[in-house]
Amino acid sequence: MNRDKSMRRFWILFIIASVAVSLFPLVTTSEYYLRLAAIMLLWIGMAGCWNLMSGYTGYIDFGPVVYYGLGSYATAILMTKYAVSFFPSVIVAGVVAALIALPIGIPTLRLKGSYFAIATFAFAETMKQVALEFDRAFGVTFFEGSHGITLPLSGQSNLFFFYCVFVVTLAVVLLHYHIEHSKFGYGLKAIHEAEHAAEIAGVNTTGMKLRAYVTSAFFLGLLGGIEAYWITYITPEDVFNVHKTVQMVIMTLLGGMGTFLGPIVGASFLTLLQEWLGTTFVEDYMILVGAIIIVIILIAPRGIVGTIKEWKGIRFI
Amino acid sequence: MDTVLLQAIINGLLLGGVYAAYSAGFSLIFGVMGVVNLAHGELIMLGAFTSYWMFAYFNMDPYLTTPFAMGFLFVFGYLMQKYIINRVIEQPHIMSYILTFGIHLMVANLALKFWTHDFRSITTSYSGLNAAFWGLHVPYSRLITFCLALFIIAALWFFLARTETGRAIRATSMDKEVARLMGVNIREIYAITFGIGAAITGLAGASISPFVIIYPEMGLDYTIIAFCVVVLGGMGYMPGALWGGLILGVAQSLTATYLSAGISVAITFLILFFMLIFRPTGIVGKGLEN
Repeated sequence: MNRDKSMRRFWILFIIASVAVSLFPLVTTSEYYLRLAAIMLLWIGMAGCWNLMSGYTGYIDFGPVVYYGLGSYATAILMTKYAVSFFPSVIVAGVVAALIALPIGIPTLRLKGSYFAIATFAFAETMKQVALEFDRAFGVTFFEGSHGITLPLSGQSNLFFFYCVFVVTLAVVLLHYHIEHSKFGYGLKAIHEAEHAAEIAGVNTTGMKLRAYVTSAFFLGLLGGIEAYWITYITPEDVFNVHKTVQMVIMTLLGGMGTFLGPIVGASFLTLLQEWLGTTFVEDYMILVGAIIIVIILIAPRGIVGTIKEWKGIRFI
Repeated sequence: MDTVLLQAIINGLLLGGVYAAYSAGFSLIFGVMGVVNLAHGELIMLGAFTSYWMFAYFNMDPYLTTPFAMGFLFVFGYLMQKYIINRVIEQPHIMSYILTFGIHLMVANLALKFWTHDFRSITTSYSGLNAAFWGLHVPYSRLITFCLALFIIAALWFFLARTETGRAIRATSMDKEVARLMGVNIREIYAITFGIGAAITGLAGASISPFVIIYPEMGLDYTIIAFCVVVLGGMGYMPGALWGGLILGVAQSLTATYLSAGISVAITFLILFFMLIFRPTGIVGKGLEN
């Protein structure tokens, strides 16, 4: 009974919040705020993707950006070389990212802790180098090397991209809800707590990790595709940039790893901070991010949401 | 034998020796504490900058600055472990690598703020000079650094095998609970280990300064190479750094000579990726399992 009540309260709050966010473009007339809101949603989605895999299972993925980058490239190549329109390209981009994540995930997810982190990092850097050097080494024009690909001009407004990102991010957030309330989610958390014990208790640990990994790759591919069309110009250095990975990790960590609200809180906070500091003091921003990481790890390793939960015993969901 | 091939192999071995020198500290730190030090490249950067500033202000030969770089980095590493990393050492390893990533960001960007984006290099009287024989060329500075690298690894091995502190470090890495029961002050040993790892890394950074470009953001590339070297040789297995470094150096030099320089970086990562999957304990199989 109590559980039903809290679930109903959650859904009411959730629907109010998502309707409020979806109505945001009607309230503001400023393109700047609309763009900022869309960027914020994009980061919530990306941090959420990282949280789905690493936050819940504790397997630190240091190369999620590779699926974002692959999504960008798949969209760009489909649109420029095969003249496919935007929506089908983005869907295919997500599928491509997921299909690549599958054969990569099967061997790497058997690795433990540090080795998994290093392997995913190595894979992301490999793909960046491949995108940079493939054409020159094999004498073809596919990835277009370091000068990047210019996508067809969209002619779409920020409003259009706001809603594209909104839909994907909403799906990622709903997936978090699903994880919090399903056997799948308990499995992932069990992997985090004690993988051996979970395995002995009959949890298909590798299968579960793989599902989380591929799902997060799919959504990262979608987001990468959308952003590529939005900014219309991509280079390997940009879309496979390790700093995108760092942002995802730090946003989730700041909010609280393995929590529903963590990526939302962390991504919103850091996007605003970056907007405020990053435009005028780029280096100071990076120093500050470094300091924030150190302080969180030392003082509140559970992040903002986790720490508040611990102090007050508040249940957010 | 064909001169081009021979030259490529010599270049690869010289490069590999350098790789080995700056990866040995990474391997030591991982082997003893299980910390994947993502700020490793920053230690190299600080070592190279120590050398650069002493060269710029006192006109000292970069090889003579190595003891200063070593001393400075020992203190830096010791304090970093003692006051920061030791606080999360008992927690899951994830914490330590996110923490060291934070340190990486802070150190690199503070250096960027104070020392700007400028690319710096050290030009000495012997820069660009080669020892030439049988149609092959060996740059003097790389040869000196190579010998220094072999010396560092030998000295580290000797220290770990033959001294009291070295024994305590080995005991701690084997079984820290038992070491603690035998009266080893674990936290102090951790701090000393990190200090030594940082010191030899700083020494390596100073000794490569005559022939690399020195700039605040150079660190990350070195961290990545150190990963590859240590995974190839076996994580935490000290002589492995030498094997890993030499193999990687030769592999890179051969691909750069016969294919293209850009692809040689991709090859590095592919080697790393497949090593992790098929043989995570390294080429000779003596690395740590986890």
